[in-house]
Amino acid sequence: MGKQLDLLQGTLDMLILKAVSLGPLHGYGILLRIQQISKDRLEIQQGSLYPALYRLEHLGWITSEWGESENKRKAKYYRLTAAGKRRLQAETQNWNSMADVIAGILGTKPEEV
Amino acid sequence: MIFWSRLRSWLRATGHRARMESEMDAELRFHIEALAADLVRSGLSRQEALRRARLEFGAIERVKEEGREARGVSFADEMMQDLHYGQRVLSKSPGFAVVAVLTLALGIGATTAIFSVVNAVLMRPLAMEDPSRVVYLQEQWRDLFPGVSVGNFADLKRQSTSFAKLCASNNASFNLEARELPERVDGEIATADYFPTFGVRPIAGRFFTAAEDQPGQARVVVISERLWRTRLHADPSVVGQPIRINGMPTTVVGVMPKSFDPLLSNSDLWIPAAYTAEQLADHDDHYLNVMGRLKASGSLGEAQSELHVIAQRLQQQYPLDDKDRGFRLQPLATALLGDQRLGLRMMLAAVGFLLLIACANIANLQLTRSRSRQKEIAMRAALGASPNRIVRQLLAENLVLGLAGGVVGVLLAYWAVSWIIAHGPAEMPRLDQSRIDASTLAFACAVALFSSFFFGLAPALRSASTRLNEVFKLGSSTSGGARDRVRSLLVVLEVSLALILMVGAGLLVRSALLVSHVDAGFDTSNVVVGRVGLPDPGYHDPTVARQTFERMITVAAALPGVESVAVVSRAPLAGGGGSNGLLAEGQAIDPANFVNSQLQIVSPSYLSTARVPLRAGRDFTPQDTRDRTLVAIINETLARTMWPGENPIGRRFVCCEAGPKGRMDPVWHEVVGVVADVRAWGLDHQVQPEFYIPIAQMPPSAWDWIGRTMDLVVRTRGGVVPVHELQSVVASVAPAVPIYRLSTMQQKISSTLERSHFDTFLLAIFASTALLLSSVGIYGVLSNIVAQRTRDIGIRMALGASQVQIAWDVLGFGMRLAGIGLALGLVGALAATRLLSSLLFRVRPTDTITFTAVSLILQVVALLASYLPARRATRVDPMVALRYE
Repeated sequence: MGKQLDLLQGTLDMLILKAVSLGPLHGYGILLRIQQISKDRLEIQQGSLYPALYRLEHLGWITSEWGESENKRKAKYYRLTAAGKRRLQAETQNWNSMADVIAGILGTKPEEV
Repeated sequence: MIFWSRLRSWLRATGHRARMESEMDAELRFHIEALAADLVRSGLSRQEALRRARLEFGAIERVKEEGREARGVSFADEMMQDLHYGQRVLSKSPGFAVVAVLTLALGIGATTAIFSVVNAVLMRPLAMEDPSRVVYLQEQWRDLFPGVSVGNFADLKRQSTSFAKLCASNNASFNLEARELPERVDGEIATADYFPTFGVRPIAGRFFTAAEDQPGQARVVVISERLWRTRLHADPSVVGQPIRINGMPTTVVGVMPKSFDPLLSNSDLWIPAAYTAEQLADHDDHYLNVMGRLKASGSLGEAQSELHVIAQRLQQQYPLDDKDRGFRLQPLATALLGDQRLGLRMMLAAVGFLLLIACANIANLQLTRSRSRQKEIAMRAALGASPNRIVRQLLAENLVLGLAGGVVGVLLAYWAVSWIIAHGPAEMPRLDQSRIDASTLAFACAVALFSSFFFGLAPALRSASTRLNEVFKLGSSTSGGARDRVRSLLVVLEVSLALILMVGAGLLVRSALLVSHVDAGFDTSNVVVGRVGLPDPGYHDPTVARQTFERMITVAAALPGVESVAVVSRAPLAGGGGSNGLLAEGQAIDPANFVNSQLQIVSPSYLSTARVPLRAGRDFTPQDTRDRTLVAIINETLARTMWPGENPIGRRFVCCEAGPKGRMDPVWHEVVGVVADVRAWGLDHQVQPEFYIPIAQMPPSAWDWIGRTMDLVVRTRGGVVPVHELQSVVASVAPAVPIYRLSTMQQKISSTLERSHFDTFLLAIFASTALLLSSVGIYGVLSNIVAQRTRDIGIRMALGASQVQIAWDVLGFGMRLAGIGLALGLVGALAATRLLSSLLFRVRPTDTITFTAVSLILQVVALLASYLPARRATRVDPMVALRYE
């Protein structure tokens, strides 16, 4: 296991949207999915997931319904909405261009200035 | 889309809070347990796994709190916080809160009460199917709108194509013999289309059929739910049973629902009109109510133009009866309720003004308080409250006031509505249906919210824009110039609104005073009047009918305490009456030369019993019988109209009946006397041309015009005649015939003035409240300004200004505010009172006396309101004032 990174401010929303874009998940499932994709390199406070989920639902980007979990328990499943899908695309683009810019700046060598 | 999901989420959050909480609980528990299960799988004991899972999850309450916030509950929560805060702030200044809530309650209560009346009388749709398509049809002749003649109705029904249904009825009253005393009930004589026109079904039985609406059929009747309940003991088997109406057994075929009273005339029964061939040919008697239901495809305008074409055809066909006659079509609701509109709208405007004044007063109070609260608000801003939140908080505080005022106001309105129903004019239809219902409550709520916004916004915005440094840098003694301007403006507004109300009330009061001094034209004291209707069967013979009334006069005159007795077809102030076209001798027979005049059929003793002064000629005598010269006595107005500037005694006119040789054979009446004008329609009504003919000379058919019904007029020697004595007099002469609408002349006069007195009374109350509130406004602003400027005043006094000068300044400021308000109010009043002119009697809407008196009253009150603060200003001690900080 590599070194764990603190989550950047405002990126949790994006990760949640990405996670549920792969298929409906309950809260714990979302957490597992993010950890799994990031190969356990991101540290997410378990509880902090829920306010983010409610906020996204409030914004209309994800929706929820009660369903049955793998071990036959009642669990709340989250799914991406059309608005959420657009949002995820926009966020992804934004992130990529931002990452390019930042990487460009940080990669600048003295002779290039 | 996003908006909707937000709204949904917010609604869910506020509406289903409990469910949401339990769902959130279940969801978080699931998470922790799933995490623990995974930990158990990696080898931990269950207990240890749960402990670790909780630890890793973090503080569950904080998660929940953040979750609630993320869901938008926070807005509702903040709102609750704000309201709670507002309520706390208010409870810290109970004096202000009580004054504000009471002021507001007064405004909201009055507005709500009047609104509920307006709602019941004007706005509630008539109780029938699709009332908007039901129209009311009248004839139009010169500027009169009489009923429709049977002949014209029959032609209209045949020729018009605009109506899906067209029906006619005329109001009548009937002697009903049920189990107790005979009773007079109001009803209508209607055609078979009457009920289908309104589209209302009977609750039992049926309406009469077209076949039953033919002459010579068995007698049938449809009765009201009220009659069925009160007189027939709600007998479920009433349909098919006979009841005795006008002495004849009549079969009940149907019972109409409670709400059914399409002409708002309190009808209790309907019998078939069954017009005879003779009636159907009659184009001369105009008395029918005609109602129609427009076809779904047609409009009122189209129907009106079709009627215009038909009217022209009728004019050519019946030149004598229908010359210059047209038809007027109105929506039924307008025809029935149009008269109520002006008065009720005036009331609504008046209470609206009152509410505005109340709001202006509270806004003023709030502005005063906001000044002393400036530091508190600045402190909150410094501690990080956003301007947005501060405005919201102040608005919430006002909302608390508004809601409290609304609740007290609705209670007030509750009481006011029951008072209005009990004391309101009986003639106002549907008034008794006024109540505080859902729509009224919604209205009150809207008014409360609107007013809290109105009086709260200015102070709130002003506070929020306060710059911190200004507040802390400056002392409290400087005068906030802009704030004073707003407050002064509010006072000016209050004064001008109050003035408009006072002028309106003043005009009505003056008009009521003038009416009370009007001479009724006869001696109204010690006169008792009651109506007697003889049924057609049994009293059909004119001689029998006349002798019955003459016997009643003889028997009643023998009662102890009675001075004299007479009968008249319509006693003054009893309402109703029939008009006739008179043609003076020497004029060509042309409807244009007819003078429309009210006919009174009287016993010879009537004019002396009522003490109508004889101006010229002689009174009737018992010798004026049908085999002598036909005579008539006319009133002064008719004399002036028919023979201007000439002596009418001995002149002749033709009217009322045709001679043996047909319609064009004139029957002459000779004028033998002229009497004073009697205000037969009410003291505040125009006198109509009127003529009297003796009962012994009346044309036989006139008994049908007056429905064999006359008013028994009894003059007493000062005492009252017991009701039962008159009842037994009538019953002894005409068994099973009731005497009804029995009352003294004085009572009849006051009931005709009921409406205008009621309007006057209410408006006077509103105006004095408005005056009180605006004087409180002036007082409040001035005392506050004096308090704020204590230091300025102190300095001026230290520099040598005299107490008189100081007092004069304060008074002058107050009077200047009042003066500007007065000027604006006078302009407004001149525009507004014009709308009152039809409610006024002998007073012009621009009456100088009223305007002057009202302005004076207002100025005196303003002076008094300014005096106290002025006196306080003169008591300022310069030393104290300078130290005052």
